[in-house]
Amino acid sequence: MAIQSFNDILVEVMRVWTSQLLSLRTLEHLYMLFVALFFSILLGVLIGVLTYKNRKLAAPVLNSLNVVETIPDVALLVLLLPIFGIGVGPTIVASILYSILPIARNTYTGLSNVPREYIEIADALGLTQREVLFKVRFPLSLPLIAGGIRIAVVFTMGVVTLGGLIAAGGLGAALQNGIQLYDMGTILVTGAWVGLIAVILDGIAGMIENIFKARYGKWS
Amino acid sequence: MVSRKPFDRIDSCRLEKVTKKYGDRFAVKNLNLEIQGGELLILIGRSGSGKTTALRMINRLIEPDSGSISVNGIDVREFDPILLRRNIGYVIQNIGLLPHLRVSENIGLILKLESWKEEKIRERVKYLLNLVSLPPQIFMERYPHELSGGQQQRVGLARAMAMDPPLFLMDEPFGALDPLLRSQLQDEFCKIKKELGRTIVFVTHDINEAFRLGDRIAVMNNAELVQVGTPEELIFSPANDLVAEIVDSKRKYRHIDALKVRDIMQPLEKRYILYPGMSAASALDYMVKVGLEVALVFWNPENTGRVYLNDVLNAVSSGKSLEEAAKPLPLFSPEISLLEALARLKAEGESMGLVLEADKPAGILFSDRVLENLI
Repeated sequence: MAIQSFNDILVEVMRVWTSQLLSLRTLEHLYMLFVALFFSILLGVLIGVLTYKNRKLAAPVLNSLNVVETIPDVALLVLLLPIFGIGVGPTIVASILYSILPIARNTYTGLSNVPREYIEIADALGLTQREVLFKVRFPLSLPLIAGGIRIAVVFTMGVVTLGGLIAAGGLGAALQNGIQLYDMGTILVTGAWVGLIAVILDGIAGMIENIFKARYGKWS
Repeated sequence: MVSRKPFDRIDSCRLEKVTKKYGDRFAVKNLNLEIQGGELLILIGRSGSGKTTALRMINRLIEPDSGSISVNGIDVREFDPILLRRNIGYVIQNIGLLPHLRVSENIGLILKLESWKEEKIRERVKYLLNLVSLPPQIFMERYPHELSGGQQQRVGLARAMAMDPPLFLMDEPFGALDPLLRSQLQDEFCKIKKELGRTIVFVTHDINEAFRLGDRIAVMNNAELVQVGTPEELIFSPANDLVAEIVDSKRKYRHIDALKVRDIMQPLEKRYILYPGMSAASALDYMVKVGLEVALVFWNPENTGRVYLNDVLNAVSSGKSLEEAAKPLPLFSPEISLLEALARLKAEGESMGLVLEADKPAGILFSDRVLENLI
């Protein structure tokens, strides 16, 4: 296969796009990504808040999540097979397990490190402990929490792509096809497309992080 | 709304045999102090003398190891600490405006938690901003980092007044401000204090501030109360050398008739001066940008005046020029006698005058600051 011109590239992209059903694959991919991300944020923030409220739990919980984090993602997918079978289920579960840590850790760190002067004045004004947590600590932690979510987006993107190995569909499936057929066009086009989506999503997450920083991050 | 206030007015606030230790060190040792309703009591002392600890025990931010603190005869431990704190205004040196909330949200925070209606909160916030001389239309929607130090301090004061508390605790609230702004805020604070007639406990280490604001002054040293009394009592019968040194009694025999305006005037910073030809609108921009609440209009020695931010704002909305908005000021040479200058200020019913040196503004003479510089 010789590619001579921009035109040839376009023709090749169109061929891969239609033969590999990339529109459908992209939708599947984003679906898994957003479902996983939704639950990671929910659980991550929840665990962050709970460990903040029960300091004794913080070390064991965050350390266990750290252990999960050290398992290579392929191994994690395989380990989940006996429980969740193959397909979308274990892929989403693996993504969530992977992404909870950065969100939970950043939530915990953010809540713990709000400057003392703000907590003191909130106490002096007569805020209850609960109000201090939700009206002062939590908003002032949002930039850090958003930073954790940004890391989670990158992690989730990687795991969801690997899901192609265990019949979860998505763009990983198209890549698998390409590798098995040794179809260089499919590998390159799908790979570039996955990369582009990752860069765009990371950019969006970064923008959200910066908005939070501008809104909640000026601690002076 | 049913009042959830633990007290509506202060008849007295008593600290009896209050002791607080941190490890082996006494922060406050056997402190007996009565604050009378309606007075401004100053707690003065070096850092580490226990004045801030004493202050913070009144609203239960710190609990004493022994002894009791009571308001109107009721031990503060019988009040819910949250309700107690919402009923006591609190202002500190580093202000602590919450950075993620707008000015209006900072001031209205407790009102919102007390489930006031949105409209009522806005109304109250506007009233309080006017009270501290910040035009609400300019400042309500700003974030704390968009304000100058003086403006933040005013917002801090407004926030402390939100619930209309009968008692205020203030911990060096003007300590971080430059001298001109500090004396201006002290002036305004005196005015507000008179209008509201609240009981105030005020911590400072600046004896001039203590003399200016305090009805009575309590001197603390090494965790203990040394003397409490009116400024005159402290000056004329200090309990010991330490008090004499703090109030600087030795200086009281200085001869006022030998002094010149130059000896007493306060230096004037350049940024307080608006130059000729400035329109009211650009003066407003400048003052807001630099964070000035008062400025001097200086055309030439025959044509000078003083404007407040509110005056400029009114001038802009009514189409008047800066010259018309400015109020003329008496002018002095630095070499004339202080007594002569004071007599002129009194005759003209002014509290401040501009000191000119070689036809250039060099300083400001405040009539009410003369005495404190003497004692």
